[in-house]
Amino acid sequence: MNYFLAQLVNGITLGGMYALIALGYTMVYGVLLMINFAHSEMFMSGAYIGLGTLLLLSNAGTQNAICKVLPFLSFLKSLRGFFTSSTAGLIILLVIVLAVAAVLTGGLGMLTERFAYRPLRHAPRLAPLISALGVSIFLQNAVLLWIASNKPFPHLISVKDISGGMHLGITPVRIMIVATSVLLLIALDLFIARTRVGKAMRATSQDQDASGLMGINVNSVIALTFFIGPALGGIAGVFSGIYYGTVTYNMGFMPGIKSFTAAVIGGIGNLRGAMLGGFLLGFIEAMAQAYGSLIGVPAAYKDVATFVILIVILVFRPGGLLGSSVVEKV
Amino acid sequence: MKRNHRIVVGVMAALLTLALALTGCGTGGGGGTSGGTTTFNIGFGGPLTQGDVSFGQGGERATKLAIENANKSQEAKDAGIQFKVISGDDQSLADVGTTVANQFVSDKNMVGVVGHFNSTVSIAASKVYNQSNFVQISYGSTNPDLTKQGFKNVFRTCATDDLQGPTGADRANKLGFKNVAIVNDSSPYGQGLVKAFKDEFLKNGGKVVFEDATQQKQNDFTALVTKIAAAKPDLVYFGGTYAPDTGAGALFAKQLKSGGVTVPMMGGDGLYAPEFITGAGADAAEGNFATCPGMPVELLPNGKQFAADYVAMFPGQQPAPFDAYAYDAANAIINATYKVAKDLGVNKVTSPAGRDALLAAVAATDFDGVTGKVSFDNKGDNNNRVITLYKVVNGKWEAQPEQ
Repeated sequence: MNYFLAQLVNGITLGGMYALIALGYTMVYGVLLMINFAHSEMFMSGAYIGLGTLLLLSNAGTQNAICKVLPFLSFLKSLRGFFTSSTAGLIILLVIVLAVAAVLTGGLGMLTERFAYRPLRHAPRLAPLISALGVSIFLQNAVLLWIASNKPFPHLISVKDISGGMHLGITPVRIMIVATSVLLLIALDLFIARTRVGKAMRATSQDQDASGLMGINVNSVIALTFFIGPALGGIAGVFSGIYYGTVTYNMGFMPGIKSFTAAVIGGIGNLRGAMLGGFLLGFIEAMAQAYGSLIGVPAAYKDVATFVILIVILVFRPGGLLGSSVVEKV
Repeated sequence: MKRNHRIVVGVMAALLTLALALTGCGTGGGGGTSGGTTTFNIGFGGPLTQGDVSFGQGGERATKLAIENANKSQEAKDAGIQFKVISGDDQSLADVGTTVANQFVSDKNMVGVVGHFNSTVSIAASKVYNQSNFVQISYGSTNPDLTKQGFKNVFRTCATDDLQGPTGADRANKLGFKNVAIVNDSSPYGQGLVKAFKDEFLKNGGKVVFEDATQQKQNDFTALVTKIAAAKPDLVYFGGTYAPDTGAGALFAKQLKSGGVTVPMMGGDGLYAPEFITGAGADAAEGNFATCPGMPVELLPNGKQFAADYVAMFPGQQPAPFDAYAYDAANAIINATYKVAKDLGVNKVTSPAGRDALLAAVAATDFDGVTGKVSFDNKGDNNNRVITLYKVVNGKWEAQPEQ
């Protein structure tokens, strides 16, 4: 039983991360009917930005190096003690790191939209797709060339098991990942359903031209979509860094594919679907690895199990679990 | 709209240029003859920008050092020969390695290739080299299959996994480990290594309590770790490499510890890199083992001079065991070039007859290298086979001599 619960905890943590990334895919698809293949690089950029912010605020070596070039930043040194000594300081540090990563990654997302997608908005559907792949390759190689292919990420939050003798692997970092994902989903859901801007977003996703005629600034709505999606991806990136303790320039690839799958399972374009799909996928993956060998599937093939389930779901519900089957607009 | 298009075209062009630059399209013009001296190229193939870069960059440095020393030598001056290194970045990927190999074999001034590092890449590239009768000496591919293909042009200076696995098993046995959990990273290297380890470990009376595989580039091992914890091994043997974009051994070690598997992990040469310790974190890496072909450079007979030259040419870098193998591999090619130039004439070295003679000369290699005596058996494997066990002690790899 403990073994099952421990694997469940593994799956939920993974699911929380997938869900956060999947939200970004699904939001962009909902508004633009476009799959943003550069989203996995938003995840990666978020992790690097988070790491940079963290080192800038709490690492003596980085601070000394940066102050040589930019002396006016030396006030950061006096803050270091506060951030690293107490729990309160640590929490504030974490919030700052997440906020900076979210805002900058969101900004990067807006830039991408402005320069890589907007000029192609009325082009055939495949053109922005190719453009997205280009952005993805560009960002990966930019990080590889100018920053580093991989860097260790300091342990920010304890990875100590707090379930005591049960060995369930419930650690503060996992609680934070899952709790933040759920909170962000609820906030986003309320934002889309209850606010004027959210209404404008829904209108834009239904019909861009008509909502433009109704006085909605379509460009800014789309830009906002491209801020929120990547910002969530960036937060997931920081979590990934904290959780796995390392960042690499191509770290977005696998989680990107899995989260895209999660978004499709849940019904792409549907926010709650993305969340459901993310957790479901994390759960399936952990269980496939935990019990796959009982039915003769080695753990190395856990991804096969995952994608078989994707296919089965799509056969019976082509629109995904919560998605409605889209009627072709005439 | 017009302006927008121009931006898109600009961005696309920039991307294309970048992509071309990254795939390493510039082979660099070969040397050829000038003023009585002939310049020959020696190819170096290994992971330089991604994959197991620690091993690739180290091998490249050692090859450059070998060539630097050769170019200064009296022998090169007498023969009227100079050498130049042409590096090919295979990114630890078989398909990229094949592209690199194709570039190398089309280079008319190239006498041979030092490389590649990863067994997967070496095996894929060896087919290309074989078709062109091109000397390939791997300095780090330890999968036995590389030299079992019947290719006359393929050699290696390092020892193989059918020796490395059993050595790991014997040492594990002597250290008192009885119940092992075995995991490989689904690469030919990892699979070959764990098989050799397992056979010997069972023969010694040990028990395999768990066996499974991970995938290349996997970053989440938590479910696997929970499973390993339930199997209660006293040692985890991991056949794979350290780097996050290949076998991710460092991440695996880290997640083992945070997932409650506190017993040590043992692996092969793929883990024996400083980046394993930084990647896993000093806490998680502490107490883990790795076997590696060769001896620590400082214990080698000619190693002191090699290490001194290495540090002098590349300040801030320390030579690793594979670097010494790359150095000897480069020297085997250099010596063969001298011999063929003397026998057939400098202008005939890269002719078809010259290539046959180069192969014969490399096969007959016999010199005292920095890793000891270098000579090849009829398959192309080095006759001098040494495996050393290392352990992470106080955040550093430390050799564990056999008592």
